[in-house]
Amino acid sequence: MTLRVTQGSISASTLRGLQTNLGRLQDLQAQLSSGKRISVPSDDPSATASAMTFRSQQAADVQYLRNIDQVTARLGVTDSTLTSLSDRVRSVRELMVQAQNGGMGADSRAALASQAAALKSEIIGLYNTTYLDRPVFAGTVAGQLAIDPTTGAYVGNDQPVVTRISRDATIRADVKGTDVAADTMPALLDRIVTDLGSTNPVPSADFTDLDAAMSKIQQALGDVGAREARIDAAKANVDSHRLDLTSRISENEDVDLPATIMNLQSQQVAYQSALGASAKILQTSLLDFLR
Amino acid sequence: MSGFSSLNTAVTGLAAAQRAMDVAGQNIVNANTPGYSRQRAELQEIGLPATATLFTGTGASVGGVTVSGVTRIKDAFVEAARAAAGGRQAALSSQTDELTGVQQQFAEPGDTGLQASMDSFYSAWHDLANNPTDVAAGSVVIQRGIAVTDQLHSLSNGIAGQWGIARSALADVLSQANQAAKDLADVNAKISAGLVAGRPVNELEDQRDTLARSLATLVGGSASIGSDGQVSVTVSGVALVSGSTAQQFTLAGATTIGAAGTDPPRLMWGTTVVPVDSGSAAGYLAVLGSDLPSLSARLDTVATSLRDMVNAVHQTGFQADGTPGGVFFDGTDAQSLTVVPTSPGQLAVTPAAGTVDGSIALQIGDLSDEMAQQTQLGGTGPTAQWRDLTTMLGVKVQSLQNAGKVQDSVVAAADAAVETDSGVNLDEEMTTLLQFQRSYQASARVVTTVDSILDTLINHTGLTA
Repeated sequence: MTLRVTQGSISASTLRGLQTNLGRLQDLQAQLSSGKRISVPSDDPSATASAMTFRSQQAADVQYLRNIDQVTARLGVTDSTLTSLSDRVRSVRELMVQAQNGGMGADSRAALASQAAALKSEIIGLYNTTYLDRPVFAGTVAGQLAIDPTTGAYVGNDQPVVTRISRDATIRADVKGTDVAADTMPALLDRIVTDLGSTNPVPSADFTDLDAAMSKIQQALGDVGAREARIDAAKANVDSHRLDLTSRISENEDVDLPATIMNLQSQQVAYQSALGASAKILQTSLLDFLR
Repeated sequence: MSGFSSLNTAVTGLAAAQRAMDVAGQNIVNANTPGYSRQRAELQEIGLPATATLFTGTGASVGGVTVSGVTRIKDAFVEAARAAAGGRQAALSSQTDELTGVQQQFAEPGDTGLQASMDSFYSAWHDLANNPTDVAAGSVVIQRGIAVTDQLHSLSNGIAGQWGIARSALADVLSQANQAAKDLADVNAKISAGLVAGRPVNELEDQRDTLARSLATLVGGSASIGSDGQVSVTVSGVALVSGSTAQQFTLAGATTIGAAGTDPPRLMWGTTVVPVDSGSAAGYLAVLGSDLPSLSARLDTVATSLRDMVNAVHQTGFQADGTPGGVFFDGTDAQSLTVVPTSPGQLAVTPAAGTVDGSIALQIGDLSDEMAQQTQLGGTGPTAQWRDLTTMLGVKVQSLQNAGKVQDSVVAAADAAVETDSGVNLDEEMTTLLQFQRSYQASARVVTTVDSILDTLINHTGLTA
């Protein structure tokens, strides 16, 4: 049996074909105008899952970079404070060396003692350095001081202040007060001021203790420098990971422009030929030939 | 043989050609009428009575032609296949439409979805950890927490709203189906009466098929045509239309999504539950009974995991004034989740009373990582749960769309089959028209010829010049 073809079936199939063509054109147009291959999860569910993971990781990376900036600034303050601190301590030592010179009168020794006392309050001030209202050398103590300026007592604690600088690494953002002799320094300086004020030679214990404190500060400086280097490395890593994610997000979600434009072109050709064919077939019927 | 009987024969030819042209005309004018099935005039020759009568001579052999009937050309099986395909298509498209509506509200993948909100929430905690005494950082944490709960509320409301829309759509489908069932029963009655009276019922039968098809689109079911021309429709064993009586279906079950899990919406015939597996109703029932409630439940799980995970860490901390940390999130599901702290002072940031330590904030911020979430909860965390939920919905919608495309072509093929069988081909009708026009002309010529014979016989016989 031959298939009966009717005007109705021709126009239905013509319409269906044109609709399909136009639908594809619309999809391509939507992709091109938004630049996105995926606008809803059903466009590509597995790419959606990757897109969500990538974006989440990227958000975390952005935060790690902010954390890194914070900790870098904080360590910068710590670093410069420690440098000043070691300068001041060295000045104290020079005063002690001067006092070793025989033949210094009581007046000269008193003058040295008062210089040392001035340095002491400067040094305590440096120990109480804050960054964003938080003491740099006092751990997690509630107040803003590492050393009480009136009593000279160390009021900080040794709890670390920690920041996350990458998915897998955290870093200590502060320096323990006890690691830079914040606990012993005020008493030692008091002793040195007293010893300088007397006419007796400065006791060698003062030199030993001050040198010990000095070497702690130097060690802390080295430690901070090492941490800064570690942070720089982490920053480079996180940054490259973030960039990598950006390009993966783009690969995953963005349209392949040349391919899509080519598709659009061939769809347009298909659509136009469908229109042309329909126009030719739908126009004629037996009526055109009957008189 | 008599000249008068020849005249009669020609007259039957004229009448038959007239009738056949009427039928062709009916076909032509209804070429674009939805549901119209083409008709054909069935011609039959008239023989002479087998028994001899006073008026029949032995030489008479011609009796004429008659239109024995007008046949409606429609294959019931092809029509049934079309109706069934339409029912499945309607089921898929109603389900797809509802789920696509939900998918739009998810706003994933993107920078405005729940995922992005949660990510910025964790970031805010890290900022607070960097600067635990900063009131502004604390406020940001609270605001980002509120943003997450807002997202969860609007998603939850969105799903509940879609559920409400689907339920009203189902109620609408049901009232249309009940009306169509009534109409179908009426048409059945008319067809039955028409057949008994010997009246033509072709147009009524078209109406009947159209109604049966729309019933299949609405509630599925299968239609069968009895020998009396009446169609009966059964949905899962329940006779919706039988002869001239129609049953009414009612909608029972939950009216809100909250109760849909235990009391899913269902179609009832009296006190009997009618399982529907085709038609728009089937799609809506699937969405109402399982798809949306399960989405909603999974969204609630995301909310409760987030709550448990953040609270567990937050409660180990202490506020700035030394008060032990309370819960950060409160509520039992996505709809009721709220942020408890209202001022930065109420955030438990430090692990030991009386210290300024961002460790707790750091720990909460670290929860942005999925491994950390898993360790904290002992199972998948909210990030993975939300992603799974989104992906699952995407897969579901995609497979429904694909099935819909396949079903569209099945329907198109079924449509083509119906059209091939019953559609009007204008060329064919024009040919028929011409054919019977010629036939009419020829019959008329027979009349003229017989007339001229009779004229010869009556007016000129026996006359001599």
